[in-house]
Amino acid sequence: QETHIQYERMSTNITLKCGTVDWDAAVTWTANGTDIDKSQLNGSRLILRNVDLSHNALYSCFEVPSWQLKYQTTLKVGHPPREPILACRSNSYPSSFYCSWHLTSPTYIPNSFNISVRRGLSQLTCERDAFPKNRCHIKYGKVFATERYKATVTVTNALGKNSTSITFEEYSIVKPDPPENVVARPVPSHPCRLEVTWQNPSLWPEPESFPLKFFLRYRPLILDQWQHVELMDTTSHVITDALAGKEHIIQVAARDFEIGTWSDWSVAAHATPWMEDPKHPTTNAQLAETTTTTTTTTTTTASTSTSTMLLHSPTTKICE
Amino acid sequence: LNITDSTARKSIQKTYDLTKYLEHQLRSLAGPYLNYLGPPFNEPDFNPPRVSATETIPSAMMDFELWRNLNDHLRLAENYRAYSHLLCYLRSIDGEVARAELRRSLNHFCSSLQGLIISIAGVMSSLGYPLPPQLGNPTRTRAGVPNDFLKKMDDFWLLKELQSWLWRSAKDFIRLKKKIPPFVAIRLDAQRF
Repeated sequence: QETHIQYERMSTNITLKCGTVDWDAAVTWTANGTDIDKSQLNGSRLILRNVDLSHNALYSCFEVPSWQLKYQTTLKVGHPPREPILACRSNSYPSSFYCSWHLTSPTYIPNSFNISVRRGLSQLTCERDAFPKNRCHIKYGKVFATERYKATVTVTNALGKNSTSITFEEYSIVKPDPPENVVARPVPSHPCRLEVTWQNPSLWPEPESFPLKFFLRYRPLILDQWQHVELMDTTSHVITDALAGKEHIIQVAARDFEIGTWSDWSVAAHATPWMEDPKHPTTNAQLAETTTTTTTTTTTTASTSTSTMLLHSPTTKICE
Repeated sequence: LNITDSTARKSIQKTYDLTKYLEHQLRSLAGPYLNYLGPPFNEPDFNPPRVSATETIPSAMMDFELWRNLNDHLRLAENYRAYSHLLCYLRSIDGEVARAELRRSLNHFCSSLQGLIISIAGVMSSLGYPLPPQLGNPTRTRAGVPNDFLKKMDDFWLLKELQSWLWRSAKDFIRLKKKIPPFVAIRLDAQRF
């Protein structure tokens, strides 16, 4: 008797023959060891209608009355593969790029992928990541190429085959990783300043020859509007218009000077600008003096608000 | 580091800026010119194999390690030679373009490209490097191409190569600029007053 795997398409009707047994022979079918109702038989053949995943099982056919196993198959129900999604990107230009692929809908049965990458007519080697990652890495080797690259991924399973091809220029897939270690610090004695530092993404191999430029965005948490500043040839910046006393969120993105697209935004850094320590009166005299000063200022502001410095709590001091 | 390094740095920066300007100019020239060539040359996915005839157009492509380890003189000389070839080819196109407006754009681009070549020569002399020998008889002009389709194929690859060379040059000049630290340059300037 034979034992093998049988793949069938979802929602189809299936007829399982009991090996070489005659049509009118007396048999019993089981699914994972459970007897199947005679109503599903057509002679010695088993009829399965509009199959779905619930039909996945080990089907066995026994001749009656000898109970000899005459046929056995594992049924797996699934789909042929649809067109895979394929994308290539270089976050380590100009040394390498990678291509990754996925299926938009499951097939429920094993698939195998084959990827090929060419530059013009030259075939390039694509180092596959370990299973199950659908990704492979390609060394540029040559740079400043004019010919386009073409990547093709073919997916095959027992029920069918499909493929996707993309063509691209060397430069168009360049997208660095976000900058790393973004840190923001208050600047002592400057209530509206924040110093931000960051590092080139670690996978970017040649910052000397292929420098990155950066986009920095920041805002106080209490506001929605971001402020932006573009920076070159630096991995630090001092924000000079921070809102005093308020926590700020800061992010940075990176891009090659000439080519490709901006990275995603970095992990956010948070910081609150420097604040003056509130004065704690130590003697009664100082307490009295502070109270009268406060009163005088309050009455004065009523009449001449422009010329008098309002005595705010340290957190809302307006910067020069 | 003697005085010429400050001159060299400024000259390199100016040449870098010129490549960026030319890149911008090429972007606005390439579309109309490919449309002038017509299908399939103006189709986004047109990806022809590089037939041997077009290989005489200098290719910017090179092994990355080799490029990184180019010495400054060779790096500049390759730029100088490539643009001299490309300009020569471009000028041979210029005369054959029927559309006046396109001819004007091509003409303008040729002048800018000539400016870039002069600028590269300026960098080389400020660093004390001899210029490569002038082109003998230009290796390739449009006149020598047998049929119209191959002429257009040449033009197609020429525009592509120009794009690649301008990107490569930008990286070349960034690399050259980094070799002459700005700090030293500023200090030298200060001493002069």
